[in-house]
Amino acid sequence: MSSMRILACFRVTPDYEALRESAWSAAARRSLSSSGGAETGHDESAGARHDEIAGPAGFVDTRFVRRILDCFDESALELALRLSDALVGLGVTSGLGALSVGTPDADPHLKTLLALGFERAARVHTEAALDFAPAATAAVIAAYIRRLDRRDLLMLGARSGPGGDATVPFRVADELGWPCLTQATGVEPLADGRLRVTVMTDDGLQRLTARTPCVLAVGNAVVSHLRVPTLTDRLAVRDRRPDILEPADLGVDLTDALRREGPSLTTLEGIDRRRQSILIEGDTPRAKAQALFDLRLKSLLEDL
Amino acid sequence: MPLTREAVVEGLRGIVGPDDVITDEQILVESSVDNFRKLQNIFNVHTMPIPAAVVMARSTEHVAQILRWADEHGVNVIPRTGATATEGGLESVVADSVIIDGSAMNEIVSIDAYNMQATCQCGVPLQALEDRVRELGLTTGHSPQSKPVAHMGGLVATRSIGQFSTLYGGIEDMVVGLEAVFPGGQVTRIKNVPRRAAGPDIRHVVIGNEGALCFITEVTVKLFPYFPENNAFLGWTLKDMATGFAVLRDVMVNGYKPSVARVYDPGDAGLHFSHFAAEGDCVLLFMAEGAAGIAKATADGIQGIVDKHPECRQVDSAYIETWFNDLCWDASKITAEDERIRQTHNVNRTTEISADWSSINDIYQAARARIIAEIPDITMMGGHSSHSYINGTNMYFNYFFNVVGVGPEEETSKYYLPIIGIICEETLKRGGSIVHHHGMGKARAPWVKDEYGSSYYVLETLKHAFDPNGIMNKGTIIPLSTK
Repeated sequence: MSSMRILACFRVTPDYEALRESAWSAAARRSLSSSGGAETGHDESAGARHDEIAGPAGFVDTRFVRRILDCFDESALELALRLSDALVGLGVTSGLGALSVGTPDADPHLKTLLALGFERAARVHTEAALDFAPAATAAVIAAYIRRLDRRDLLMLGARSGPGGDATVPFRVADELGWPCLTQATGVEPLADGRLRVTVMTDDGLQRLTARTPCVLAVGNAVVSHLRVPTLTDRLAVRDRRPDILEPADLGVDLTDALRREGPSLTTLEGIDRRRQSILIEGDTPRAKAQALFDLRLKSLLEDL
Repeated sequence: MPLTREAVVEGLRGIVGPDDVITDEQILVESSVDNFRKLQNIFNVHTMPIPAAVVMARSTEHVAQILRWADEHGVNVIPRTGATATEGGLESVVADSVIIDGSAMNEIVSIDAYNMQATCQCGVPLQALEDRVRELGLTTGHSPQSKPVAHMGGLVATRSIGQFSTLYGGIEDMVVGLEAVFPGGQVTRIKNVPRRAAGPDIRHVVIGNEGALCFITEVTVKLFPYFPENNAFLGWTLKDMATGFAVLRDVMVNGYKPSVARVYDPGDAGLHFSHFAAEGDCVLLFMAEGAAGIAKATADGIQGIVDKHPECRQVDSAYIETWFNDLCWDASKITAEDERIRQTHNVNRTTEISADWSSINDIYQAARARIIAEIPDITMMGGHSSHSYINGTNMYFNYFFNVVGVGPEEETSKYYLPIIGIICEETLKRGGSIVHHHGMGKARAPWVKDEYGSSYYVLETLKHAFDPNGIMNKGTIIPLSTK
């Protein structure tokens, strides 16, 4: 094989960690509201003064938090870069492409990917994030590959945060007629053009050999952070812009695709994360260690 | 003749008992550095002399006995509490040093809601004190990013400052009295009074001493009423830092006291505010707080000032409020950041300086330009001003670089120290101070004579007077050898 064209797809999500608890509880209250969320409330927690906005049941107001790469997609992007580096070492030309389907929130990340050496970065524009729309998302990705940018390998996160149901990789693979390897945590090229893919199974890690074309759904990989381009790297692509496409450019009727989506979010309720705890008492560290041993560890050892 | 390592441990055991003298190898190795060499800690590569022991002090008397013993035997001691230092102040630069850890002295001694002051031992986490006084509708007003992990003794020892400093001041404005132990075991209490003119303000011998003069065992700080319901947030985007500095100056000169007043340059704004600021935008933001009338008047006054700068485009205040509520660094964020660094070898560092209004933009521009031109592998070079005064402000340089071609042990010499050097040079050249609120530590100690000028005489005399045998945190503030 003289070349391998790789496409990595990613999604940008609100930084849910930065959301205050009150944003979730407000959404849960809306879920309980039979009117579907026309209520207005006031957050009594420290420092918060903003009235809740109206929204449908389950609507979480994420307007004011920053956008970040979905963590599984971030793994997929870095693994794609590492695979590309390894292919170059084998004398194989690798064309790296990046694709996101969604709002302009993805554009800064696409520019970063150009600075990191992706030859092509594209976004298929939608007016709103495609939450709970795996069929529509998959239709766009498949159409992009089929009609605009032929690829040998598609890498993307196995799932993408709240609003994703972990079916996009399967749906894309189905539309393209490609095999899909799930829960991938590593990939490396073989000399014969095939790929050695590490996947996580219930019984542990498994190493598979795969032929392209195929889809790699990246799961809980150890590699979870994207490398960072230098200012010099960024300067080199200063004048390059991501390709911005409309679904119609790919022959996809997004309105129709969204209408056919099955699941929708109807309710949202908080998870009680409180855990029971016991304070270990003791006058000295040794006494506390002994108390911990007597209370908990001793019986665990006895059970071995 | 110096004590052997074994004799140091035995001596300490004789004072505090065996349980409170820690000699676990991994703990000692980790205690040889602070966050100045965080890359070495992340990769478990250590180059500094390993301390002989970490001794847990549980009382002022313990500290006094340890310091008396250390002074007698010439043992270098490094005071610490929360161990969140960033400038090498907790590094052991000489063999067989002893870390005196005050984190077990963690009692909140009193909260006096009538006289509006709280007294606590050195090892009380600021977050714990803040949580307690909040139950009474009060606040310490101190909120450094390290609030969840830093302890009161260390915060006073490093002359720290918090995010609400423009209203409440730095820690030096909050400490009304304290207790400290000097070499030889001399216990000193400075009483808690609103103000006095009985000679020099000796609190300032202790505040900011970075463990180079004494060990702080107890502090009393002011309390303030807490009115979160009145908090008002304001934010704008703008195109250049010069305008941002000018607006900050107008706000300060006109007498307004927002608790937060900041301007972010495009690089730093890109890290925090890319969801509402365009690439290349600066961000200006304020928070007004206090009693309802004060908070409203402050917010209205600031609005009026910024309105005179039509190039500033106002953003929804919810952006600022949401961001601010997620700003502090707790243990989970630190762990996540360490993992990011481990994988990417992309390191984030900060260096903070201060200068008058005439000089601050020149320092920012000059240092930034030089760092980008002279230092390799920079991935972000930016910063923000976050603490303003009537006569000037600070600049908090915030920068990232990829560590390329060297091991973790060479990160400081290839990247960090050269960057600090540029920032110090450009600051000193224009009459600013090379340290705004992290402390000198050992990282910036080589510039101490340039920082102090002729007033170095005072500093040097203090050191000789209070620590004649040189046992207190060797190399901190005053380097082992001056350049």
